[in-house]
Amino acid sequence: MPEGKFNRCGMSTTIDNVFHLNGCGQVRHEPETLNKIPGNRAVWVGIFAELTEFALFFLVYFIAKAHYSEQFNQGPLQLNTLAGTLNTFALISSSYFVAKSLASIRLNQPEQSMKWLWRAVMCGGIYLIIKVWEYHWNVDQGIKTNTNEFYTLYYYMTFNHLLHVAWASGSLIWAIFQIKSGRYTQNNHLGLTAIASYWHMVDLAWVIIFPLLYVLR
Amino acid sequence: MLKVNRLNALDISWIMLMLITLANALVAETADKSLFITAVICFSIAFKGRRIIDYFMELNHANKTIQLLMRAYFYVFPLLIFLADLFSEQLAVITTT
Repeated sequence: MPEGKFNRCGMSTTIDNVFHLNGCGQVRHEPETLNKIPGNRAVWVGIFAELTEFALFFLVYFIAKAHYSEQFNQGPLQLNTLAGTLNTFALISSSYFVAKSLASIRLNQPEQSMKWLWRAVMCGGIYLIIKVWEYHWNVDQGIKTNTNEFYTLYYYMTFNHLLHVAWASGSLIWAIFQIKSGRYTQNNHLGLTAIASYWHMVDLAWVIIFPLLYVLR
Repeated sequence: MLKVNRLNALDISWIMLMLITLANALVAETADKSLFITAVICFSIAFKGRRIIDYFMELNHANKTIQLLMRAYFYVFPLLIFLADLFSEQLAVITTT
């Protein structure tokens, strides 16, 4: 195995045409994300459209918080921080598993790639279960969609995000079957890269939602 | 072809993100409202976003436009969160019809 030149980011081309993938081994095929649009243009149109939608939610949050500061100060205190934290763990872990899956398929390890994807799907499932439990817990505490402006925004934002997790989990399952049927391979897995990018976007949205709703007051 | 047993960038990123999340939860449960806390949280959002974008999404070596737009999102929104907190009264005034 010819040695290559590492950079601090862990992924680089080398003079011997060996590529290092975020420290997850070395491959001789150029990774599809290197200096290119990961996946395809269509998925990035979707990703930016979704991020714009979430951006609008965040702007509404800023304005609503300015007008109903007391509700937004007290609101996070009444929410279930444990549920929010566990969901953040689930989403971050799922993103990690998806990244590992992509690394595995590049290394021509489809079985390993599917295992990582199943773990990611499991995290998506855990997220959905926790969310349902959290909503039930909220109702028991008297927190409903029309309790006040903070909770209206909380339900709107988190339910919208929940839908994204649900259908993105579906896309992960679809990717698993594509690998199983041999359609996604070491040399042809742009679809998996696109699905992975979308999944990471869902995780990124939660990176902002969690502190906005559960931490900041 | 694969011969790496030590922690790699993905593993390190995952551990860091989990630890920051734990710290955020601790802040949510214990810290009082202050601009300093808001600044710390905003910094943690920016850091987590950058870590996911660069390493999980692998944008650190991808198309520059996509990379710039994604990174910008996680600079702009943490900044907006802080500014919205700092100038909440002014924001309320200018958004009142």
